[in-house]
Amino acid sequence: METRAKTSSKEAAPTAAKVEKWGLSRRSKDRIIAVMSPIVLLILWEVTVRVGLLDARFFPAPTSIASTFVSLLQTGELVFNTWVSLQRLFFGFLLGGIPALALGVVMGLSRPVRAAVDPLISATYPIPKSAILPLILLIFGLGEASKIVMVAIGVFFPVVINTVAGVLEIDKIYHDVGKNYGASRWQVFRTVALPGAMPLIMTGVKLGVGMGLILIAIAEMVGAKSGLGFMIWNAWQTFAVETMYVGLVVIAVLGFLFSLLLNELERFIIPWKSDQQG
Amino acid sequence: MSNDTTPQQDGNATRSREARVRGSRAMQNQDLDSASGSKIRVKGLTKQFTSKGGTFVAVDDVSLDIPAGRFFMIVGPSGCGKTTLLRMLAGLETRTSGSIEITRGDTGRPVNSMIFQGDSIFPWMTVWDNAAYGLRMRGVPKADIKETVGHYLDRTGLSKFAGSYPHQLSGGMRQRVSIARAFANDPEILLMDEPFSALDEQNKTLLQQELLRIWDETKKTVLFITHSVDEAVTMGDQIMVMTAQPGRAKVLIDVPFERPRHVLELRARPEYGELVYQIWDSLREEVQRAQRVEE
Ligand SMILES: Nc1ncnc2c1ncn2[C@@H]1O[C@H](COP(=O)(O)OP(=O)(O)OP(=O)(O)O)[C@@H](O)[C@H]1O
Ligand SMILES: [Mg+2]
Repeated sequence: METRAKTSSKEAAPTAAKVEKWGLSRRSKDRIIAVMSPIVLLILWEVTVRVGLLDARFFPAPTSIASTFVSLLQTGELVFNTWVSLQRLFFGFLLGGIPALALGVVMGLSRPVRAAVDPLISATYPIPKSAILPLILLIFGLGEASKIVMVAIGVFFPVVINTVAGVLEIDKIYHDVGKNYGASRWQVFRTVALPGAMPLIMTGVKLGVGMGLILIAIAEMVGAKSGLGFMIWNAWQTFAVETMYVGLVVIAVLGFLFSLLLNELERFIIPWKSDQQG
Repeated sequence: MSNDTTPQQDGNATRSREARVRGSRAMQNQDLDSASGSKIRVKGLTKQFTSKGGTFVAVDDVSLDIPAGRFFMIVGPSGCGKTTLLRMLAGLETRTSGSIEITRGDTGRPVNSMIFQGDSIFPWMTVWDNAAYGLRMRGVPKADIKETVGHYLDRTGLSKFAGSYPHQLSGGMRQRVSIARAFANDPEILLMDEPFSALDEQNKTLLQQELLRIWDETKKTVLFITHSVDEAVTMGDQIMVMTAQPGRAKVLIDVPFERPRHVLELRARPEYGELVYQIWDSLREEVQRAQRVEE
């Protein structure tokens, strides 16, 4: 955003001052609004709870959530549960993402493979992933494996579907170039299919991470002794509403951080696309 | 480089017919003495596309004999099967019938490299990686790649943009990358499919001159497709005019101009204009016929 405004003001030299003035004020206005709106909401929340308009049993005041947050940090409980969830997410992401990527590219490149696998994916994709949880628990037990597998399933589908679409979207001429310049099958995979599909693969990865976050929370609520999902579920059972909110906030922040991280990663992996706008 | 037939620069009314007669004679002659130094020999090459609507003959019975080192031009109206012909030569398209023979020189070099019609450099690779593509696929040692790619990026004026991505380049620069990629690959023959057709007039002239200069260094056998008669006369040693639907070889015309050529000076010469006129004359019929077919 900033670089775009800078370059455009440089190009339009005569009217630069005007543009910059306009751009700056509008941008800073946006930023102020973006920062202010949650703050205003929090203050409103705090006030309505204090005057008794909102029921503190369901909507504890932000200040009391914050103090619970601090005490959970001090006991180490929060850090431990977050760490456990992150580990499951990480391994689940690898377990689901890597096969999805490989299968997606192969499907995109090979019509027979696509014809064989496409119906399987179309049939299993619409099943709500949370509905599979009992089956997964049955097969993989109550230990780490079932949580990791749940995340993997969540990551797998968006990645494989977007990867196939990404490979199919590549202009035929690039395959011709590969062939004309003597690229082997493996080289076509590496130099044409994979990089060409990368923009859509990244979209799939982002969706997959979001899905993984949803599923890890659900999986940890059932038959787990640790993790953020467990923490939230346990808080419900003991009616520790503040703890519940702390869990929710941490999950929300994780989701936000992941999307920041993935956007950075995208700019690094796809430099030929991401700075097209900048 | 010159052939046994010389282009006619005399007469007016009979020009077109004469060109046709001479053209077919030239082809026959070549068929007879093709044993010596011929690089590409094509006989009865035909391509039929089969679709729901029936069969469609895109290329019909084309025969060619191109000696090594010739800059061979193919001119024809849009849709007459030029790209299809070139793709068959490149092995990217199957042929319905006919034969293609390409005489191979020393081993290890790729048979052909194509410069495709339209944008074909990889958007996800830098200029350098694009130009190095063929050599990398062949597993050429790194030091050699560095030297060759460096040379051709220098020749195409792209050295400063080696680290740029295609979207950061103008259309003319992207086409230069495509040229650098093909030359760096060091093939036996170069196949060029309207490499400059998307460019504006100034850029086109500039790149034609650059291509001629680079080509002069190597004198590779080139098959160059264009729909521009000017381009054909400027660049080529010999021009084949194709008929519209089905695409056949209509005439073969020799271009007598010496090399190295200076594009603008060449175009100022009266013989240049006459040759262009002569080719236009034979092409006009085809363009009109192509239009009638479309209607
Ligand atoms: N894969 C295909 N299937 C069916 N028809 C095709 C196919 N490829 C080309 N054609 C047809 O063959 C004819 C010749 O196409 P080609 O691309 O060779 O023409 P061209 O001479 O290169 O035209 P232009 O100058 O516009 O590039 C066209 O009528 C086209 O519609
Ligand atoms: Mg074409």
